[in-house]
Amino acid sequence: MKAVKQALHVATVPSSVVCREVEQKKVIEFCKACIEQEKAGSIYVCGCPGTGKTLSINKVKEQLLSWSKEVGLQPLESLALNCTSLTNTSEIFSKILEKLNSSKKRKGRLTPLQHLQDLFCQRSSSNSGMMLLIIIDEMDYLITKDRAVLHDLFMLTTFPFSRFILIGIANAIDLADRFLQRLKSLNCEPFVVTFCAYSKDQIVEILQQRLMKVAAASGDMRKVLDACRTAIEVLETELRDSSTKEQPNSVTFDHMDVALSKAFKSPKVDIIKSLPQHQQIILCSMVKLFRGSKKNATTIGELNKSYLETCKTVHVPAVGSLEFTEMCRVLSDQGLIKLGQSKQDRLKRVTLQIDILDISFAFKDIRFFKNCLEDY
Amino acid sequence: MASEKALDCLRRRLCDSSFVYSAFKSTPAGNYSKLKFLISNTITEACNNSVLLLGPRGCGKGAVVDMILEELKDEFPEIISVVRLNGLLHSDDNFAVKEIARQLCMEHKLLFSKMASSDDNSQFMIDMLRECGLAHKMIIFVLEEFDLFTQGKQRLLYSLLDAMQTLTSQSVVIGISCRLDADQLLEKRVRSRFSHRKLLFTPLSTEDMQRLLEHLLYLPKNLSLPSKYVKEFNSNVNNILGDKKFKEILDVLSSVDNTISNICRFLYHAISWMHFESGSLTLDGFKNALSCMQRQPMLDKLQGASVLEFYILVCMNRLGSREQNSFNFNSIMKEYKAIQDAYKTSDNYSWSVCLRAFEHLIERELISFLDNRMRSLSIEYRPVRLLLSSQELHQGLKSNSFCPAILLKLLNHESYR
Repeated sequence: MKAVKQALHVATVPSSVVCREVEQKKVIEFCKACIEQEKAGSIYVCGCPGTGKTLSINKVKEQLLSWSKEVGLQPLESLALNCTSLTNTSEIFSKILEKLNSSKKRKGRLTPLQHLQDLFCQRSSSNSGMMLLIIIDEMDYLITKDRAVLHDLFMLTTFPFSRFILIGIANAIDLADRFLQRLKSLNCEPFVVTFCAYSKDQIVEILQQRLMKVAAASGDMRKVLDACRTAIEVLETELRDSSTKEQPNSVTFDHMDVALSKAFKSPKVDIIKSLPQHQQIILCSMVKLFRGSKKNATTIGELNKSYLETCKTVHVPAVGSLEFTEMCRVLSDQGLIKLGQSKQDRLKRVTLQIDILDISFAFKDIRFFKNCLEDY
Repeated sequence: MASEKALDCLRRRLCDSSFVYSAFKSTPAGNYSKLKFLISNTITEACNNSVLLLGPRGCGKGAVVDMILEELKDEFPEIISVVRLNGLLHSDDNFAVKEIARQLCMEHKLLFSKMASSDDNSQFMIDMLRECGLAHKMIIFVLEEFDLFTQGKQRLLYSLLDAMQTLTSQSVVIGISCRLDADQLLEKRVRSRFSHRKLLFTPLSTEDMQRLLEHLLYLPKNLSLPSKYVKEFNSNVNNILGDKKFKEILDVLSSVDNTISNICRFLYHAISWMHFESGSLTLDGFKNALSCMQRQPMLDKLQGASVLEFYILVCMNRLGSREQNSFNFNSIMKEYKAIQDAYKTSDNYSWSVCLRAFEHLIERELISFLDNRMRSLSIEYRPVRLLLSSQELHQGLKSNSFCPAILLKLLNHESYR
């Protein structure tokens, strides 16, 4: 069981990445062409989270490094950056400069970007022939209002003496169209490789490679792997609990069902059902207030009036104003309503954050509240 | 004295959160067992994990985590180090990373440099994770008020969860939040890296409640108290717990707030009403505790009000219900005179007497001026507002036996149609 869980762990890197051969081939061909012609180029890799982008690009990097050694070309350097760790979007240029010019001192007057542009405008003797592979992960963090940083980054590949291949990884499929229109006009659009969400067959293939068959819920590989591990844990707790008569020793669909429902079901209806009675009455009085009108906000004073009326109709003694305000605060802590700011308690704005249908659904089996909700 | 010692013991128990929540240690399907199993499994298998504990405030999330960490530190000495962050203090990414570095330095007895930049700190964190992973040590991150970490760009969460995906690190991220949809607040990238394990802290069922009360109120036999006293005390508590009236009190309490910390506060009140001579708890004590917990301060203020003051309050209420948004003492007097003319009661007082009653009401904060800037105007012309609701005024009138019935009629007629 342990080996199974280990193999299914998200962090276990498989020896070969299946189902992404097409995409990897595209990237490798493009990079090889660039390296052979000693030209600069840019690739944009996009796709939803969990579709294997970073994994595939890392494999591509390894393959390219070994290929360049085999073929006997100049050595290939690589730099991997994750944009979430940058405090400032233009820091990316200083990081690239650092890699290129680790020995030289930096001139104080020029910004890193200008320095790089300078470097690529002239043929420099020390860096001739060396190709640099720059992998930029989570590139959407570089999107600023004026998109200057992204533009400048991709434009660096157009300079006559720039020798690097830029691989940007992000989630937005149309980043190139939306943000880099200027590049299109300059005819230096990046080469786009899209990583589609895994289909059911592909997921099955991957899991078979990693051990076992399962039903996939979404194209997100991490979710599937986690669901599998949870299913195994469910099975383990069953095995530990010696009260069951039969001892299953493989994961069945029931286990998967429990695991998937835990991962994906929204607990809102359960939460509403488990609230104490008066808090449920408050939610009902909110529904009554907003029924029929489009608005979804009111003040605590109005809500209190509605609450008192509701308590009268169901013959439950209402609580005092202090406790009422306290219960509203508890409901807002749990994310069911939102409280605004005001000097006076009675004038604070209250907004409903969940769907009225969720509340009605939660109370549909309880006769007590059905009377509440149907009573106009 | 025996009763003093007993009271002392009970008080100490109720203030100790680990004792209170240890009542639920033995349930196999409970959150305590699940979390403990999860963490100890992660330790033995040397992998990474993440989990969210969700539940309303006061239901025991933090206490369960503390208990489990204490026990695991005993069970696996030298293997576990804990880093605690709180969303209220460390939601800014730079502060959070600095705090993580500082705590890791403290745990592993390294020197912490205050001059280190945020980059250095995050690099240090990644290096520590890798080193600890290679040395088979586990780092446990406890993130309290987890929903506050999801504000902004969620950089800290992303870097933490991303670092955990490399195989050489061994860590557990425990997020504690009272927002039940905390995982929906995560950005898609972060949510993808977060395992979908959630432990919901649901309110107590009746059997659990019974078990908790017995756990907290039964005196143990090993205290230095005469065993006859202990037996009597426990059987008395047993009788009270089985009484129907006690169950009603408990229902009223939990219909407003059914968290464990609320129950503990209620019990703390109740044991303070212990009967000293006999040294036992009484049902009346629990009733008094309930009324202490559910106080209505406005009604308490109305207790000593005079009849004239009630007249003034009723007049203000009538003016308010006629949608008159601002009124002052003059308009109140007009209303008062109108009532006196219509009903010819014996409570007809002069202007100066009424003004004095009005000032009393202001001092007692049953009414207040609308804004404090117009101090230059004399008191009769400044607009005032009523701080009581109609409901509270109605209840106050009913509970005061010497109030003339006409006041209730006046109030009823206008507010309740």
